[in-house]
Amino acid sequence: MIGIEQQRDWAQQLVAASAAELTAVQPDWMSAARAAAVQTLSTLPLLDRKQEAWRYTRIDALLEHRFLPATAAPAVPTTILNSCLLPAFDASRLVFANGRFMPWMSNLHDLPAGVQLCSLREALTTNPEQLATWFGQAVQQPGHVFTALNTALVNDGVYLHIEKGVELEQPIEVIYINQCADAPLLLQPRNLVILEPTAKATLIERFISPDESLYFHNNLSEIALGAGAALSHYRMQDESRSAYHLGSLYLSQQQHSRYHGTSLAFGGRWARTEYNTSFRQEGAECVLNGLYTVGDQQLNDVHLDVRHSVPGCTSREQFKGVLYGKGRAVFDGRILVEKQAQRSDAVLTNDNLVLSRDAEIDTKPQLEIHADDVRCSHGTTVGRLDPQQLFYLRSRGIDALTARNMLCLGFAGEVLDTIDVPVLRELADSRLVSMLGDATVAAE
Amino acid sequence: MLAISNLHVAIEDKPILRGLDLNIAAGEVHAVMGPNGSGKSTLAHVLAGREGYQISAGEVLFEGADLLALEPEQRAHKGVFLGMQYPVELPGVNNMMFMRESVNAVRRARGEPELDAVTFISQVRKQASLLELDETLLKRNVNAGFSGGEKKRNEILQMAMLEPKLAILDETDSGLDIDALRVIASGVNALRSPQRSILLITHYQRLLDYIQPDYVHVLVAGRIVRSGDRQLALELEDKGYGWITGEAAA
Repeated sequence: MIGIEQQRDWAQQLVAASAAELTAVQPDWMSAARAAAVQTLSTLPLLDRKQEAWRYTRIDALLEHRFLPATAAPAVPTTILNSCLLPAFDASRLVFANGRFMPWMSNLHDLPAGVQLCSLREALTTNPEQLATWFGQAVQQPGHVFTALNTALVNDGVYLHIEKGVELEQPIEVIYINQCADAPLLLQPRNLVILEPTAKATLIERFISPDESLYFHNNLSEIALGAGAALSHYRMQDESRSAYHLGSLYLSQQQHSRYHGTSLAFGGRWARTEYNTSFRQEGAECVLNGLYTVGDQQLNDVHLDVRHSVPGCTSREQFKGVLYGKGRAVFDGRILVEKQAQRSDAVLTNDNLVLSRDAEIDTKPQLEIHADDVRCSHGTTVGRLDPQQLFYLRSRGIDALTARNMLCLGFAGEVLDTIDVPVLRELADSRLVSMLGDATVAAE
Repeated sequence: MLAISNLHVAIEDKPILRGLDLNIAAGEVHAVMGPNGSGKSTLAHVLAGREGYQISAGEVLFEGADLLALEPEQRAHKGVFLGMQYPVELPGVNNMMFMRESVNAVRRARGEPELDAVTFISQVRKQASLLELDETLLKRNVNAGFSGGEKKRNEILQMAMLEPKLAILDETDSGLDIDALRVIASGVNALRSPQRSILLITHYQRLLDYIQPDYVHVLVAGRIVRSGDRQLALELEDKGYGWITGEAAA
């Protein structure tokens, strides 16, 4: 893996390129947080392949690109925006183009009282005290070079705050449209999602590129759920086959809160999703479901760090992968149950369907249990399509290709069935079907 | 309808069928009986087109055309149906959707219009009720968590929906209690017609009390060693396979 000096140079060059931006007017605490992150960048133990979390995921190709921090908002034609919208889908909507909030493309009307939904920049002006209270709270670990970079260069993102007891009926949709014509860009939204006690919401994030742009989308979300709060959070990453994507999520959950996360990853050349979850009080529940597909020239990496540090919490992690062509996937899921976390209940599974000889999956589910009264299990499978199942379908008159697609959809169904937003479910289905079309081409 | 002559089939170079001959005319019901390992299931699978079998000699004509040259789905389009001994579970594949896909794939291949959802559902329901198949099973994934009897009923339901010309039923009686056997047999009998041939593959005579065959064949070591009418099955029941295998070896 690429050397430490090069990693520091790469990061420092990005920090230097953002210097003008960094001196813009900011509250002191924000400037301090950024400065600390810049400092961290020069002191962190950087990435190497001896670190389990990066063992199978090389960053060499990523660091070879000289990305430029995106500063100006690009002009995204309305036609492109319209092509990114889901049909007949009523949602409050924030649109980011190259990481910058696009107010005129967004829809923030009809939000009930008690809901603040705006860009991070706007929140810095309108509600800096509240922002200061929450910013950086869920990210309690030093993280790695990319998370530090996100903090060092923070400039925009989603700010969602829902007051106690407010239940949002209508989903919130965040669309990230990414497109760069010239130099490869660094885009790094920083999101802060706060649900006060017993608040309830559905958040959908979609990462899209209308063409084959090369960029690095280094997003970071901090999510804090108060006692009894419930968040359904969907992420669909469907980016360009040249794009690099790192989504880092940090969760902090209070008593009896529920987080249901669904990660759908179809695109990207190099895409990694990190869930770092932390139960702060008893009785909380965290459910993470995911589906990833990878073909030629694609790497998808799922990294879970689920920490049971208080008693009586439940976590469910179910990730499925469909691999074809020369696709590569990495699953590194860890559940840590600390000594005091009695009555923890955790189930972690990772199942992979490999459609080609050249695809590769490195899967590593881990349970680290220090408590003695727990219910925990984990399992992983890597398999091909079952010839008996294929024969069964074909003997009923269904052609080989349709039979294969039915079995793949069936395999993915267990994850897709957990999607409660019908229009998103349809989108995921059709995306999977078109991917299977690609897979046929790749197989020939 | 079906003409098998001198069929030789091996699995991983181990000969299983060694010169099998069998002719089935339209409307006839034939039973092939035989001890374990005699090649009964191999015959069923080879006719349906399952992979993994080496056909070294012989031919199979279905309505005068070479059946062995066809893909499994093409055989289904021509009207061949295999009711499996062990129907597999299809996780995540809805039973109703599956059957509709199957029926319409066959109809398309035959140049018939597809069945619309309403017509299809009403037909499936009618057939399911004849087979006393719990309707909730139609909404579940194919065979997922079905009991042995439910799986077999689901096979006969598919047969009824696909209206094959040749139905091969591979040990459809295995694992069934007497009530389930009666229901399934009456489902099969309802499908008997002068245009439809049925090949019953079974280890036991019992099934033949309920589905009465026109001909009975005894398969031993990959060959049909004796053919007769129903009396042959009763005789076998009485004397056991040793009676014939001993004779065949002699």
